[in-house]
Amino acid sequence: MNDEKQRVMKVFRELLEDPQNRLVDQAAGSGRIPVGYSCSFVPEPLLMADRLFPVRLHATGVAGTEIADNYLSSLVCSYTRSLLEFAMDERYDRIRGFVFVPSCAHMQRLIDNLDYLKRPGFRHVIDVPRKRCDFTLKWQEEELHMLADKLSSHFGVDTSDAALMKAIDEWNHFSGAVRAIGELRKRRSPPITGVEFHHVVMASLASPKDLILPYVEELHRKIRHEEGAGNFRARLMLVGGHLHDPDFIRIIESQGGLVVADRFCTGSILGLMPVQVDGDPFRALAEHTFEKTLCPRMMEDFDRRLKAIMDTVKEYKVDGVVLEIIKFCDLWGVDSMPLVNELRKEGIPVLKLEREYRLGGEGQLRTRVQAFIESMGR
Amino acid sequence: MKNMRSYLKSLSVKLPDAAKRLWHGSLPEYLISSADLGAALIYMKYWALNCLTIGKYMIEMNLRLGPAGSIRTLIRNPWLFTLLKVNGLMRRYGRGRTGLYLESVCMAVNSVVTGNIDMLRQMFHHPERMVINEDLVPVDIIHAMGLDAYLLEGMGIMLPIVDPESATKYIDVAENEGMNPDACSLPKTTVGMVIKGHLPKGIAMVSSNLPCDAGAASYTFIERAYGIPTYRLDVPYDFTNERAENLFMEDVSAMIAWLEERTPGRMDWDRFREICENRNRILELELELWDMIRLRPAPLASEAVWLSHLWNVNVTPDYKESVRHFEKIVTLARRNIETGTPATVNERYRTVVWNPPFLNFSDIFNWAERTYGLTVINDSMTYHHHTPINTSTPETMLRGWCRTVMQGPMVRHTRGPAENYLDDIFRMVRQFDLDMVWVANHVGCKGGQAMNGILREKCREKGIPLLVLDYDLSDPRIVSHDNMKRQVEHFMDNVMKAKRIDQ
Repeated sequence: MNDEKQRVMKVFRELLEDPQNRLVDQAAGSGRIPVGYSCSFVPEPLLMADRLFPVRLHATGVAGTEIADNYLSSLVCSYTRSLLEFAMDERYDRIRGFVFVPSCAHMQRLIDNLDYLKRPGFRHVIDVPRKRCDFTLKWQEEELHMLADKLSSHFGVDTSDAALMKAIDEWNHFSGAVRAIGELRKRRSPPITGVEFHHVVMASLASPKDLILPYVEELHRKIRHEEGAGNFRARLMLVGGHLHDPDFIRIIESQGGLVVADRFCTGSILGLMPVQVDGDPFRALAEHTFEKTLCPRMMEDFDRRLKAIMDTVKEYKVDGVVLEIIKFCDLWGVDSMPLVNELRKEGIPVLKLEREYRLGGEGQLRTRVQAFIESMGR
Repeated sequence: MKNMRSYLKSLSVKLPDAAKRLWHGSLPEYLISSADLGAALIYMKYWALNCLTIGKYMIEMNLRLGPAGSIRTLIRNPWLFTLLKVNGLMRRYGRGRTGLYLESVCMAVNSVVTGNIDMLRQMFHHPERMVINEDLVPVDIIHAMGLDAYLLEGMGIMLPIVDPESATKYIDVAENEGMNPDACSLPKTTVGMVIKGHLPKGIAMVSSNLPCDAGAASYTFIERAYGIPTYRLDVPYDFTNERAENLFMEDVSAMIAWLEERTPGRMDWDRFREICENRNRILELELELWDMIRLRPAPLASEAVWLSHLWNVNVTPDYKESVRHFEKIVTLARRNIETGTPATVNERYRTVVWNPPFLNFSDIFNWAERTYGLTVINDSMTYHHHTPINTSTPETMLRGWCRTVMQGPMVRHTRGPAENYLDDIFRMVRQFDLDMVWVANHVGCKGGQAMNGILREKCREKGIPLLVLDYDLSDPRIVSHDNMKRQVEHFMDNVMKAKRIDQ
């Protein structure tokens, strides 16, 4: 059984090696349209309407950001720099459209620099408000309508309510399948490690959902009755911004900490929740966007962010929280100050790690994780 | 005993430097080294005016709060002692300057002193109706509601201007609490002051998503530290259309209702009309000033332009004194034009400073003037696209005010596409006949950093020399003043092939 699991896992690992993986090629080859996006505030179901399919932009395996540094400077978050570097290296050349959100200053300037250096044929910016109330919800709904109209007129695709409802159903089915695997991590001895699960999530986000779904379901079937991912000293939860490279989790787990919960931009908790439609699908997507994304850019959401972490800690029986922040990210950097204080007040051990987008400083990371687990008396 | 000995020893080591600094900032030293008698008289006049304003307030504070209350206030807010060094700042700004230019610079400093005193009144005298406002949320509406207000970041801005080292202890406190060291040093200073309990609480707080991520995110911490209700305004990314204006107006209207619910303040539209009219008058005068400084050589420059705006438009736009200040500045500029007197006798180069001025080394402009005849004509914190506010109805006033906020410096340039940022720079180059562009490359300003690559290439295309001057807004430990000067020297020597005029 373990061999069968490893065979499926190999598929996910391979799909993550290239931002335009073979499933993207396969779908594009059959006349479908890949649309790249870089932020969780972009509602994926809208990019799944008709022939469209969403590809979460990543730069896993980026070797350096020399060209991007010239433009974005080395003091900007390395995620945006890595995306720009990959774009300059033609690593997204088969992506036919880009949808961005000016979620932070870094992302905003990435859009500006891409426009200047390599303006895509189709690019759209969703102006997502930084707080949620009646009038911002209405605004967000209008923003999504504007995006739908633009997609429709540029690519000639159907973005009607009916097409959107179909896409939402497809999304809910897909996210349900990934979540089902994630749920297994609540077990005392989960059948899947954190690094394996992250491979599944990242590969899924970067692939056409319908084409990757069989692999996700197959993996679920193979492991749902299995026990034990190994002997681990502590159950950990990862919290933070963008984390794409599963090797970061591999290093944490190499020190005896099993990552059982992920509350970060490309994680499954809240990120892969289903869209609840009660009437207008655009309205539902607008609400869903605010609901599933727990980013510190949302100015009035701190309590909800904190509660989501606390609830997850209880639900997944987490021993400690690892807060991972990409260096120079002001949103997470500043927000971590009250967040760490509040979590510690609740008696939850927290390790705050500053890191770069690509994996580096492995030795240091190992030492810090090891010391953290020891400090918990594990 | 051993500690005492080492303390005395360290004190004796520091003493000569401290005495030197004291002497260089003193009135007698200025009088001895003054360019001419006229300059000495102008400086003495404003030195006395500043002392008088501060002295009067100290008496008022004693009467209102009582001697014990005053002492308590001074102990709780030790930064007040830093503000007493304001004449030293005026001394630094005034170095080598004469005539009406010197007068305009001293006048700008004096307007800051007067405005600051009024802010202190609002900070300490009526805590039951005091609202905290974030630096890009103007006080107009809060004042129109009959409430007192103070700018939370106000002291984070003022302290390093007056004393370059004064913000560092607060920066250290914030970093020690867990704030990321690479964040902008202005929110770090503010957070540090909040942690130390050096800023009064008030009854409510109004902040926004401006100007940067660190600034906006810091209010989560501040709100929890103060435990007071907070309203957050949200300016859309793409704000140059009616739809965005409507959204922001709705937001501001909700803020008014929110304040009415939580404070004793009530919106007085007649008072708001007066405030908007005040703003309109300042705008008219400022545009007249900009028209005059287009002349080469400029009749006034530097602090007369940027410091006047920084305080009188951003902090006290609703004060009659702000209008009077601009009237006087315009009069001085006009008189210099009439008599053919340039602000800088040796004006050889003109520049704009893009991004916030160097708070911890704002007298670098004076040094550049004396060293290379390089005049700072305008800066990005001053330059705006405001239009007069239509005061005919509450709705038009609100729309005009919202537009003013959204088009304000640091809002316009941190939102929307790159064109908002770049086009203004090149427009200024044309408008003010500039020879170069300086980018104040604040290490904590990621949005600005990420534009340097495009800007460099665009400047090269247009043949505009560009100096990207690395520094930290409030922390001189990151880039020293000597290092900043060296960056200018290398640029002037190697790119501009400029000859020094001070040798």
